[in-house]
Amino acid sequence: MGYSGARGGIDAIEAAEKLVRRKRLNAECEWVSPQQIVGRFRLAVDRVMGEAGIWDEELTAIAIRQAEGDLIEAVHLLRSYKSTLPRFAYSKPIDVDELQVVRRIVPAFRNPPGPQLLGRTTDYTGRLLELTSEQASQEESMLLSSLALTEKAETVDSIASAQDTQPRRLLETLREMDLLVDRRRDDDPEPFDITRTPARPPASRSARLSSMARAETGALVNQWYRNILGPDGYVHEVTLGEVRHGYLALSIEHPLTGNTISIGMVRVTEVEAIEDLNGIDEQRDRFDIGYGLCLGHNEKKAIAMANLDIACHRDNGRSQLEQSLLLTTDGLDSSGFLEHLKLPHYVTFRSMVERKLAVRKSRTSERDS
Amino acid sequence: MKPVTAPDWVLKVENLGKVFGNLSTHGIANTGPEVGTSKDSVSGAIVAAWDVSFEVAAGEALGVVGESGSGKSTVMRCIAGDQVATSGAVKIRTTRNEQLDIFSLSAAERRQLRVNKIAVVYQDPAEGLEMNVTAGGNIASPLTAAGWRNFSEIRGRASELLNRTEVPLNRMDDAVKSFSGGMRQRVQLAKAIANRPPIVLFDEPTTGLDASVAAGVLDLIRGLLEEYGLAAVVVSHDFSVIEMLTTRCIVMNHGRVVESALTDQLLEDPHHPYSQKLVSAARA
Amino acid sequence: MTDLLNELGAAHEQQQFGILDEYSKREIRRAILTAVAVPGYQVPFGSREMPVARGWGSGGLQLTLAVISPSDVIKVIDQGDDQGVNAVNLRRLIVQSTKVPETTTASDASIVQSRHRIPEDGLDEQDILILQVPVPEPLRGVERDMRELSRMHAEADYSKMWVSLYEDKVRNGVITQTTGYPCLVNDRYVIATTPIPRWDIPRLDQSPFLTLFGAGREKRIYAVPPYTAVTPLTFEDVPFEVEHTPGASCSQCGSNKTFLVEIPGPTSRWVCSDTDWCERNSGKA
Repeated sequence: MGYSGARGGIDAIEAAEKLVRRKRLNAECEWVSPQQIVGRFRLAVDRVMGEAGIWDEELTAIAIRQAEGDLIEAVHLLRSYKSTLPRFAYSKPIDVDELQVVRRIVPAFRNPPGPQLLGRTTDYTGRLLELTSEQASQEESMLLSSLALTEKAETVDSIASAQDTQPRRLLETLREMDLLVDRRRDDDPEPFDITRTPARPPASRSARLSSMARAETGALVNQWYRNILGPDGYVHEVTLGEVRHGYLALSIEHPLTGNTISIGMVRVTEVEAIEDLNGIDEQRDRFDIGYGLCLGHNEKKAIAMANLDIACHRDNGRSQLEQSLLLTTDGLDSSGFLEHLKLPHYVTFRSMVERKLAVRKSRTSERDS
Repeated sequence: MKPVTAPDWVLKVENLGKVFGNLSTHGIANTGPEVGTSKDSVSGAIVAAWDVSFEVAAGEALGVVGESGSGKSTVMRCIAGDQVATSGAVKIRTTRNEQLDIFSLSAAERRQLRVNKIAVVYQDPAEGLEMNVTAGGNIASPLTAAGWRNFSEIRGRASELLNRTEVPLNRMDDAVKSFSGGMRQRVQLAKAIANRPPIVLFDEPTTGLDASVAAGVLDLIRGLLEEYGLAAVVVSHDFSVIEMLTTRCIVMNHGRVVESALTDQLLEDPHHPYSQKLVSAARA
Repeated sequence: MTDLLNELGAAHEQQQFGILDEYSKREIRRAILTAVAVPGYQVPFGSREMPVARGWGSGGLQLTLAVISPSDVIKVIDQGDDQGVNAVNLRRLIVQSTKVPETTTASDASIVQSRHRIPEDGLDEQDILILQVPVPEPLRGVERDMRELSRMHAEADYSKMWVSLYEDKVRNGVITQTTGYPCLVNDRYVIATTPIPRWDIPRLDQSPFLTLFGAGREKRIYAVPPYTAVTPLTFEDVPFEVEHTPGASCSQCGSNKTFLVEIPGPTSRWVCSDTDWCERNSGKA
């Protein structure tokens, strides 16, 4: 048949699609519901929501299932679905101080204002692969479920009544200690919408932050790592101020009545990184802060984001860090472009071969003359 | 300070100033040769150059002498457009015999001037050349920027210029990074005069070159100045360069002009104590 | 509130014409108009994620969906072949969401979406050619910084490009640019002619049809309006060379006046890359 150039292109495609569908929906193993994916692979769901820029756990689970676990593919499914949806409102600006934490740590101080809540994390647990039998695991699961019914469930309300879920930011304390550069603005610039206008350097901070919020997690972590340790980076002394995971309420203005109405909650990860200023034209007697925020529970991404936010600010256009962040961290752009190499390129190849022959011909004629 | 005048000036610098940091009156008062520093101790601002004026006519070369930190390179970079001046004006005579204050131009217009009105020869050839490009290619750059589109003509003009600057023609197609320091400088010269600019600025053109190599380059520059009738500004700390190339010069110290005179007269009989110090050190 | 959402939902349930919502299409059309008004200028646009991946024609697809109407006839090719798998997939998406009739005959089509080729003939006034662009920046080889690239285009400062052509000729004896040859449009902007072969470039100059270039991943649109000057960058005395293999002719239709691609083997065979043209020409033979 050949890849192309003969009749049968559509037949080949349809055969490939049938094969994928058959294998994906096969009955050789048990069906997986979206609830199971949300319940058992919550971090994958959270990561995909963050990269897709969409808050909908069930839809995301469906995408992950359809993509057979390829998370970037799942992001693609969600983003292209989003392209078909009309945008009919913007949420009102959110004050992140209203974040209700289910986890909050402050590495910079032993006793910061407000509680340190380890919350749901494996950071301090040994990475030991649990090899208990399937039966034993399921028995434990049943036992824990029945306990949960009698205990108070970890809902936002119960946490609220239990302790301080909106702890005062470390930032405020640092301001009181007069240790921070003050970069607060008194104007109110329109935030940059990267889904409507491509962000290019030199870009506003909101353009950089929103690009990073949707960036592919691995790309952002790698970008951070290169910036710290790679040949083209430089050293940053960063201490994390806040690492928070919690709920934010969203509200919009009703399109007809104009009243503010609550439309639900999203779960986000938020990080503030304290950067030691040591540059020659910086204020050596102060710190500055980098900020990171993304949908879902994705600490490595939010930490990388906060670090890169402040790195970009300090870089001030000297290097191409901003260009790297804006243009090379989107998962769909990078993997799509990489995989496009699989498409037929025989027109280009023919042209390349022709030029090689032309170069040789010119060299022989030069020798002969 | 009486400005150095030239009746038919092609380049006129008026009260040029460059301050790094915040400009203030006390900053000006707290710096300069009498105070002995360019840095204002109060604000931390650096008055790299202040109140610098001179004129250059076609066919003559003006020297700007001083030790490192005197502000001479800053002045050159402000004229070239590599840095933005804080105050003053730089005027050039246009082909229509009008006076154009180049500080009134946009950044894009100033870059246009660098194609065929003002050329710069840097101390470090790597600043004025693309090291991975061939000698001919480096000259092709200003030529194509000026609209040359014929390959043989470009090559013809490039070889002419390389010949004139004594670069062996069999090296025309070699990347400049494979050249010695002296030869790189010659390529930079060829590139600078490619479009016959009326004004050429030289920043320490032979510093860093071996003495014998430097002598050859200086000889070449002198020849080019005569042949092309350029208006040149030669910045150097080295009096032998100034003596060889220039007829008039100004002496700078801590950002200010302390003396201006005919080069011969300055070397013979410097008036300002700082000039005297420099001249006697050179003689030693 | 719930009623309002239900209303909007119901209106949306019917699969909309051309995948994208009307607002998105309007945005893309505005970018197209800017591109046509300033030939060769790369217009940034809010490129949407499409059912095809970035790098696989998402830009071309957005352009097609923005301009297509029920009275159009669509042809989609890849490397000149209507049956190329990527072309088939794109055509299927377009036809499914617009119900617009499709064809393989270029002269019957009013819109041709193409990857890497211009059809050998058949495009006239009122037709639109939409080219898929992987990398829209012609100066990418000589400059990496986007701020500097922006300045170079804004000031028409293409000297770095000219120096690289000079170096190429000096080093190799010929200019070795393969496909996507840089061209000057309307005497002002230099464009990357996507990876179309040099063979197709002369047909852009003063063409009667409109050519739109869509780079979805890079989020740029540019255009060559009808009857616009398009000249490949080369020195006056260095002729622009198209791909030509002396003696080669299509083993199916016999043509030696079309862009041919090689079938490697013990004896080299050639075929037309434009499969539709080839078929019609074979019929005549």
